[in-house]
Amino acid sequence: MASSDPIIRLKELTKIYQQGEIRVTALDGIDLDIAAGEFVALMGPSGSGKSTLLHIVAGIDRPTRGECWVGDIEVSRLNESQLAEWRNHTIGFIFQTFNLIPVLTAFENVELPLLLTGLAPRRRRELVQTALDIVGLSDRSRHLPRQMSGGQEQRVAIARAIVTDPPILVADEPTGNLDAHSAATVMETLQTLNGSAGKTIVMVTHDPRAASFGSRIIHLEKGELIRESATPPGGGTPA
Amino acid sequence: MNLGAFILKNALRNTRRALLCVLSVAACLFLFVSLLVCLRELTVPPEDIGASLRIAVRNKVSLTVQLPARQGPIIARVPGVAAVTPFSWFGGQFGTEEGTPFAQFAVDPAKFAAMFPDMRLPADQLANWIATRTGCIVGRDLAEKKNFKIGSRITLRGSVWPCDLELIVSGIYDYEIDSTSLFFDHKYLDEATGNTGTVGAWWVLAENAEAVPGIIDRINAAFANTSAEVRAETENAFRMSFVSMLGDIATLIGAICTVVVFTLGIVTASTMSMAVRERFPELAILKAMGFRTRELWAFILAESFLLAALGAVLGIGFAIAFYRSPPVVSAMSIYFPVFEISPRIMARAAIVAAGLGIVASLAPAIQVARLTVVDGLRTLD
Repeated sequence: MASSDPIIRLKELTKIYQQGEIRVTALDGIDLDIAAGEFVALMGPSGSGKSTLLHIVAGIDRPTRGECWVGDIEVSRLNESQLAEWRNHTIGFIFQTFNLIPVLTAFENVELPLLLTGLAPRRRRELVQTALDIVGLSDRSRHLPRQMSGGQEQRVAIARAIVTDPPILVADEPTGNLDAHSAATVMETLQTLNGSAGKTIVMVTHDPRAASFGSRIIHLEKGELIRESATPPGGGTPA
Repeated sequence: MNLGAFILKNALRNTRRALLCVLSVAACLFLFVSLLVCLRELTVPPEDIGASLRIAVRNKVSLTVQLPARQGPIIARVPGVAAVTPFSWFGGQFGTEEGTPFAQFAVDPAKFAAMFPDMRLPADQLANWIATRTGCIVGRDLAEKKNFKIGSRITLRGSVWPCDLELIVSGIYDYEIDSTSLFFDHKYLDEATGNTGTVGAWWVLAENAEAVPGIIDRINAAFANTSAEVRAETENAFRMSFVSMLGDIATLIGAICTVVVFTLGIVTASTMSMAVRERFPELAILKAMGFRTRELWAFILAESFLLAALGAVLGIGFAIAFYRSPPVVSAMSIYFPVFEISPRIMARAAIVAAGLGIVASLAPAIQVARLTVVDGLRTLD
């Protein structure tokens, strides 16, 4: 459940890409607060800056101007090494194309982020098992990505994102490559993680149905935040 | 799963490419090791105990110009000289074989055994050789290859000398440095050619190693300003100069080694670059998860090392097995008495492989260092 304290605070966030002589303003002075436990959907046409916003929040891109606070840390001030460590503890990533390592089993894919933590193998196994239980794929732990459906792969990716117990999940078009049924399953999993586990979720999507699972929808256009809307209680329930 | 398993799975994820890369490294290292052994055998010939006491004396003009036989007694009287023997290359043809299938030298049998103390020849066979004008001794490897036995008759057709020789095997010697040659009595060569006045070269044994420089100087001085000036030098120096007659073969082999290593570097670097480039999105994901650039570099380095190490084990291992196999030993013995892959050469090949592992990982590592997560993810599109 969302608390009133913002876990993410963006101040005058601006991102300008310089491509030769052409300047492209991807984000233009965005101010935005996202409370801990919120499930925010970022929507907008292609080139609206929603993915750029997500990347900056996740610490994989830097703003040209402005501030991006996550908790009490100004993310854009961290150096690369600090950012890497921060991401490992704070952010869970879910991508449109799943991005599982093809030569690793589901279990090993989920275990990957834990290799950086220095946890004992036994503890790592427990955490991986718990993450796979949460996404309902314990029975597929020994399967390789190619032996699973797209929906299952995305749920493994979700398990990988949550295995380090990060407070924030960022999802970039998590249902973009899935059929309607798998997409609904994935969104329900995210909703559960938001509701039961209290994860703050920031999701980019083109899909209004996926966006309806969020507690708030933010619309961007040409790098500007143009509109916010709250989804009705129970939003996201498959039609 | 641990990081080692992760690296192993990544390195072998494209089995065919990994296998081809390993085989390329193995083939190149096999060639590299072979060339190094050739280089060593040519430039650092094996030495026995007597090598430090032996002096080769040849015509100063050229090895192919004969020396007068009258020089023998003069050399023998030089202080510090223990023994002198003529040493003349015959170079005859044997059987139906083309060219000279094995080395043949005319020597003085009575002095020969003392001249080469490491050569093992039973006393009765030596006595038989000395007593038999047409007798000869053959090396164990040559005897086995040509099925020569004591009493076997060998006909050598002269290609340099205008005569044929009918020899009888009086003995079979064992000698680690060279057991592929044939030695016969110089008197028989003199008889056969009707020429008792010349020899190819002189082989001189010094009483001790300290006397060698003085003997060389005296021999050179003794025949200075004569019609047959000589060049006396240690046996090893003679071998080296003999090798140099083939041209700057050391430089040639060194150049080939360099090309082999360079090619090997390109092959490995290319494989690693391809392997890493196609994994940009995955590497971007790993970065997003919190893996640092140095950790990804370590993965790439480990993968590169692994492929190079597998290739090294395969290439060096195969070279050892190959050059120890009896048919190859027999075939190589014609050119090199000893063709052994020493620990030093193995270590050099291993260092080259390790160096390759590092060099091959450099370009991919730079690519990964420059790779931002966002760019890596963009390659997914």
